[in-house]
Amino acid sequence: MRDVIVIGAGGGGPVVAKELAAKGLDVLLLEAGPRHAKPREEWSTFEEDANNPLSGYFRLGPTDRSKPAWYREWPQNSFVWQLSGVGGTTQHFYGNYPRAYPGVFQGYDGADRNEYDVKHRFPFTYSELVPYFEWVEATMPVMTAAMGTKEQVFFKGAETLGLPVQTTKTTLRPSYRPQENAILQPGGTAGKTSDKNLLNYPQATGCTFCGYCFQGCMRPNGAPRNQFAKRSTDNSYVPMAITANVWARGGKPAELIADAYVTKVHSEKRNGELTATGVTWRDNVSGDEHREDARVVVMAGGCTENPRLWFNSGLPNQNGWVGRGYTDHFFDWMIGSFDDYTGNPKGVGSSARLDYPGYGGLENVGLPPALNAFSGTLSDSGIRGQYKNGRGATGPWDGPAGRVMGPELKELMAGGIDRLLTVLVITDDDVEAQNRVTLSALPADENGPIPKVTFKQRKRTRRTVRNREFMARKAAELLRGAGAKKVYRVDWAPLILHVQSSMRMGESAQNSVLEGSGEARAVKRLFVADNSALANGLGGPNPTLTSQAVATRTAEKIFQTYFDGDPWVRSEAPVVSTDPRVSVRMGQLGL
Amino acid sequence: MPAAAPLSRRAFLARIGVLGAALGGGGLLARGLLAPADAATGNPLLPPVVDLIRPVLAELARDTLNGLTVFAMPGPDPYSRTQGTPSSTPGALESGATDFMIEALDNFVPFPDAIAQPISAALVTGLADSGIALPGLELLPPELRQLDRALAAYLQSDEAIPLSFPIAGLLNLMATQVNPLAVSGVHLSPFARLTYAEKAAAFALIEKTDSDLVALLDVHFPEPLKESVSGLLKFVGGALIEFATFGAYSEYGVLDKTTKTLRRRPVAWSLSGYQPNGPVEGWDDFIGYYQGRKEVHD
Ligand SMILES: Cc1cc2nc3c(=O)[nH]c(=O)nc-3n(C[C@H](O)[C@H](O)[C@H](O)COP(=O)(O)OP(=O)(O)OC[C@H]3O[C@@H](n4cnc5c(N)ncnc54)[C@H](O)[C@@H]3O)c2cc1C
Ligand code: SF4
Repeated sequence: MRDVIVIGAGGGGPVVAKELAAKGLDVLLLEAGPRHAKPREEWSTFEEDANNPLSGYFRLGPTDRSKPAWYREWPQNSFVWQLSGVGGTTQHFYGNYPRAYPGVFQGYDGADRNEYDVKHRFPFTYSELVPYFEWVEATMPVMTAAMGTKEQVFFKGAETLGLPVQTTKTTLRPSYRPQENAILQPGGTAGKTSDKNLLNYPQATGCTFCGYCFQGCMRPNGAPRNQFAKRSTDNSYVPMAITANVWARGGKPAELIADAYVTKVHSEKRNGELTATGVTWRDNVSGDEHREDARVVVMAGGCTENPRLWFNSGLPNQNGWVGRGYTDHFFDWMIGSFDDYTGNPKGVGSSARLDYPGYGGLENVGLPPALNAFSGTLSDSGIRGQYKNGRGATGPWDGPAGRVMGPELKELMAGGIDRLLTVLVITDDDVEAQNRVTLSALPADENGPIPKVTFKQRKRTRRTVRNREFMARKAAELLRGAGAKKVYRVDWAPLILHVQSSMRMGESAQNSVLEGSGEARAVKRLFVADNSALANGLGGPNPTLTSQAVATRTAEKIFQTYFDGDPWVRSEAPVVSTDPRVSVRMGQLGL
Repeated sequence: MPAAAPLSRRAFLARIGVLGAALGGGGLLARGLLAPADAATGNPLLPPVVDLIRPVLAELARDTLNGLTVFAMPGPDPYSRTQGTPSSTPGALESGATDFMIEALDNFVPFPDAIAQPISAALVTGLADSGIALPGLELLPPELRQLDRALAAYLQSDEAIPLSFPIAGLLNLMATQVNPLAVSGVHLSPFARLTYAEKAAAFALIEKTDSDLVALLDVHFPEPLKESVSGLLKFVGGALIEFATFGAYSEYGVLDKTTKTLRRRPVAWSLSGYQPNGPVEGWDDFIGYYQGRKEVHD
């Protein structure tokens, strides 16, 4: 009997595992995908090798890359970018760690209080979460982003919009700033040279500006695993969880098993209440099934996989909200082409942002060629100049929105990938019941019926649509202000990578799955601790920091409720994940 | 095989490209080969012509996907010329994007046979009575009974159907809807014969989810799969464009997967000036901190 079983070692699960392992609980962390213990041997920097969603080392699938990826049903033009493996989707991410806007929490009474998704707020206040934000920020650690050329160009554009610069962690008003991100700032020779002989640890520390964030961070060369620049959880929380005995007094290392697909959460009636008792998981390699019992089970498989596991486990869905309210920030993509050098493919994928509480935000995003091309062709507005698919909006960009492809894309790319600046439009989108995960009628895979992700792209709420249009216009203004000679709007089809709130916690039992503690309303001792637990789309800020802050809070609730322990966030000091004790122990473990 | 009127059967096989690819001008099968006595097969359960038809379908798929990848990234090749957008610099064919698509579709898209098989069967057994006049049809030879039989036997066998074949069929079906003349001409496949604008028009039909096609496929699926199949079509339409583009701009054609090194500089890297000296450990692009601020507090 374990104390706690955590399902999924992505953005959220390792947070609970680390926090509770530090308290001496017996924690089992099960991850469906691979464990990339030796990135220098397993990874490269090639898009085909890394980012091919079918066969790349970053995909949703088992360790053995000659086996197919796990297919999921999306009954619309869309793309769900989720990853399996230790680190989960944070292996891909850019480490941007803005806090959620205060306006999406209970009790907010700013002048703009009615501008948010007021029907789907967090069931606690912003100030309740602040100590947890601070705890995660110190642990990762979160830093103010270093600036490269592409950020400088972004700021040049932002300066023309008449907005102030934000110099606080909390976003209070429309403003722009360098990202607060979970990327170690460059130190030593990092960021100052392209000579690879001068970029070995410890001569170089932190971000070397290599520009390969999407292909996985394994830099600086020779650094201990927990000191790689990008703080995906495979570099931060997971190393801490499995070395908890060396850095936490009374800590017990969590056990991590990769290639272990959880197919069922077990439950039984206890004292008249449905209660989680353990899990069954399947070894992807041998196909063997294992069953383990636990005092508490934590689901952290992500927004698409948690509902699937819930349904496949036969757990109750009384109000019908399991899998509903899936928010995705209704992204859009704007491309500016410049006469001058923008440094687009260098440095961290995104280090500058602009926030517009009540509407959403913008961030620059630098991409390598194939992803750049992919991003230019994922549209709901047909092909520019050919057909519009009933859309093709015009505005302060050039021509109608739509795919930039074929000869036009080739010409754009031939102008130089380092003469582009691309901006991600992030919408403050409403929680909508119709955007959801159900079980697919397509054939099951070896782990059971598969999830189906439905997005009603054209039926979003008026507020959501208004917000996206508003932010797209701001993006065009910013790009022009920065000196773009041409601005394209792609009108993305759903590119689902800021996934949120499909198992949401909420104020009302009518439209939420979880209590504010993260515990399932319908099943005792079953918690959800990842993006799916979020109450809403946060107003636009990237989700992982808030997920991890909420997961930390949930870990405390688990410890208090089921292990008679005391909370620690307000009384103890966090240990930073780059701690040398973690490095030494990881070295001893050969990791 | 349902006993559809031979003429409409013939039109249908022409529309998905099979008739032309097998028997048309430059076709891959000598007509005489379709006589069963002339063909041998390794599998005693399959009629001999199946062994002949398999490579034809593979070539048809390749030709169709050539038409698709140059649509994503034109180059100096004949397909880009036919499309009307030739380019002097290397394009999708030089970057190996067609192989990328075939490899992905046939080996990696984890698409269940339980769906692929009926979709392929629906496409091949489908109605031809679309009301579209096909002016080029008279250029194609009339033999089709054997061809039909071979296809049916192939699809009803328990061999996994390479997904590239139904995808090619879908594109060709749309192509002849957009331009009926595309049933014959240069290249093997109707889709590859289209102009850039016509290819775009074909995709417009898929994105709307062409109602004829949905009707055609729907009869083969019970609820709730029906809805999934039409949704899948929308997904496939988008994915074909996005994946072809990803493949054309990736290192696929020159990446040695065992050594994780490049055999040559990728087409997209030369085109866009990416990584002029190959992969790096870092760049000297660190300028400093905006307004000199290295940390913030509330
Ligand atoms: C390209 C890209 C860039 C991004 N950039 C940012 C950014 O800058 N900032 C930010 O905040 N967010 C960013 N995100 C989003 C970020 O990656 C997610 O917020 C975060 O990873 C979500 O964490 P999660 O735990 O909810 O899910 P995931 O990270 O997806 O983790 C779920 C894990 O659970 C495993 N799993 C699922 N089901 C099972 C099962 N049944 N049994 C066992 N294991 C299972 C999966 O394999 C996976 O490893 C980005 C995403 C992408 C794709
Ligand atoms: S740019 Fe920095 S954070 Fe991104 S992969 Fe390179 S070293 Fe890591």
